[in-house]
Amino acid sequence: MFVTEPDQRRTRHRDPASLAALTALGERTRPIAASRTRLLPVAPPLAGLLPDGALRRGTTLTVGGPGDDGALSLALALVAAASATGSWCALVGHPGLGAVAAGDLGIDLGRLALLPRPGPAWAEATAAVLEGVDLVVLCPPFPPRHAMARRLVARARERRAVLVVVPGRAGWPEPPDLQLRIDGVTWEGVDAGEGHLRRRRMTVTVAGRRSAARPTRRRLWLPDPDGAVSDAGTED
Amino acid sequence: MDRLLVVRCPDLLAEDEGGATWRAFVEVLTAVEAYCPWVTPVRPGICSLPARGPARYFGGEEALADLVHDAASRVTPAEVGIADGLFAAVLAARRGEVVPAGGAAAFLSPLPVGILGQPELAELLDRLGIRTLGEFAALPDADVLGRFGAEGAHGHRVAGGRSGELADLRQPRLARLLAGGTAPADPVVAEVGFWGGVSDADARATRCLVAAQELLGPDAVVTAHLQGGRSPAEQFRLVTWTTGSRPTGAPSGTGAPWPGRIPPPAPAVVHPDPVRADLADARGEPVRVSSRGLLTAAPDRVSVEGGPWEPLSGWAGPWPADERWWSRSRRRAARLQAVTARSAHLLLAERGRWWVEATYG
Repeated sequence: MFVTEPDQRRTRHRDPASLAALTALGERTRPIAASRTRLLPVAPPLAGLLPDGALRRGTTLTVGGPGDDGALSLALALVAAASATGSWCALVGHPGLGAVAAGDLGIDLGRLALLPRPGPAWAEATAAVLEGVDLVVLCPPFPPRHAMARRLVARARERRAVLVVVPGRAGWPEPPDLQLRIDGVTWEGVDAGEGHLRRRRMTVTVAGRRSAARPTRRRLWLPDPDGAVSDAGTED
Repeated sequence: MDRLLVVRCPDLLAEDEGGATWRAFVEVLTAVEAYCPWVTPVRPGICSLPARGPARYFGGEEALADLVHDAASRVTPAEVGIADGLFAAVLAARRGEVVPAGGAAAFLSPLPVGILGQPELAELLDRLGIRTLGEFAALPDADVLGRFGAEGAHGHRVAGGRSGELADLRQPRLARLLAGGTAPADPVVAEVGFWGGVSDADARATRCLVAAQELLGPDAVVTAHLQGGRSPAEQFRLVTWTTGSRPTGAPSGTGAPWPGRIPPPAPAVVHPDPVRADLADARGEPVRVSSRGLLTAAPDRVSVEGGPWEPLSGWAGPWPADERWWSRSRRRAARLQAVTARSAHLLLAERGRWWVEATYG
């Protein structure tokens, strides 16, 4: 009896119905499987910006520009595709997220934790969240000390999370793995009193320490008229 | 914790048959709104507004409390108070006090435990000889959690001024009821097994968010739920995150047409506290919205919270903002999109003042 059991099991696996059930099971447990992979997906228009065509777990990115116009939108756009496939996201230190915009970018609001006003303990709170959330967007409410920033980068690496920092006025003293800079921001749709804001074009330049040593530039619509991100063609 | 101003109208706390108290409450909301467009009805007869921005503008918290008190008292007897968090602010209103920032714990300390509205907890504490919020707050966190459970622990944080509000302080769906519209259905909540009924990712996230709440307080972690509404701020609400529940399916009401809604894309930043703006024409004269809903001049530059003037590279509007949903009187309110070299804002004009409602950040 003990001898025949493995045979029976093998037979069952050849059964098409069992295979279908297994495939379905594989689908259902995908978030678990994804947690062991090295990369988290991004929306197709952003893939060309990133050296791996995706977000690499354990890395830190900064998103900024001269006026910080569009920085929060770009940070949210970066985490949206992973959110839509079951990863948890958190936004730490931003008191006024427009949730409709986040939803339109594709973020699953049921898996987006907001810590709008973490106060002086913001770094500890960010470290706690990095323990179990795959993608953390951090808007430091106060200028971070060097050691603090280094600790958070190390925590993201250990926990294989992705830390997206929007430094804003507070700044970020630690060189990131990837630095996304926004410039050339223009809005379309409004004139003197006519129309309404339809879409925003921005040029994003990515520079990095390792595989992305050569800067990449892309033009994006963010948001596009549907509130999502789309390709605006390469630089002229 | 937010600085909140609370208006409490003792005569309007209970509903009457004919709806006269509700009509009066709507009048109070409209009167108070002159000082801040972000007035939130809390329960019948009680409303709150963020105090920080308006206090800066109207010459301090005491001055703001006096102005709001005068405005509300023209409708019905009213009590006004300011404190950190809704719980302390409601009690401050009952005494007509402005409790200084950071002073909630001291203010609450002498009050009886029963004020938390948890009779069983009050009885247990009474047996232990603990009768005031101060004595309750002095108990160690771990002991309270072990002995009185999560609800008791939350009351404990509120008693110590570390958390702003009790779970049942607000009457849900009051805004919709006041609008006379149909109340939206409760969001469908799916129970998620604590240790990974849905996925490993959910279980890991749950553990670390609990840790963040232990660090910052339960109110510090929230999630956003979409709902129907016209203005960017009305289209979602923030709900304290709790273990084991998350909304599933499409939120109710968002698909319905909302006349007066600004077309998409939606702004990425919706300012939680009122942000003042000034709008001027090419000669530097203030731009206003006329009684016919038109601009008095073409806007040329904008200044946010008294900051430097920034030239507009484009603007659109004004769109008449529907009167606030509880208001039955016509309002001169309008929205305007204003684009500068650094950002694009959604501005709201009400009663001769401009506010930055949202920013396309």
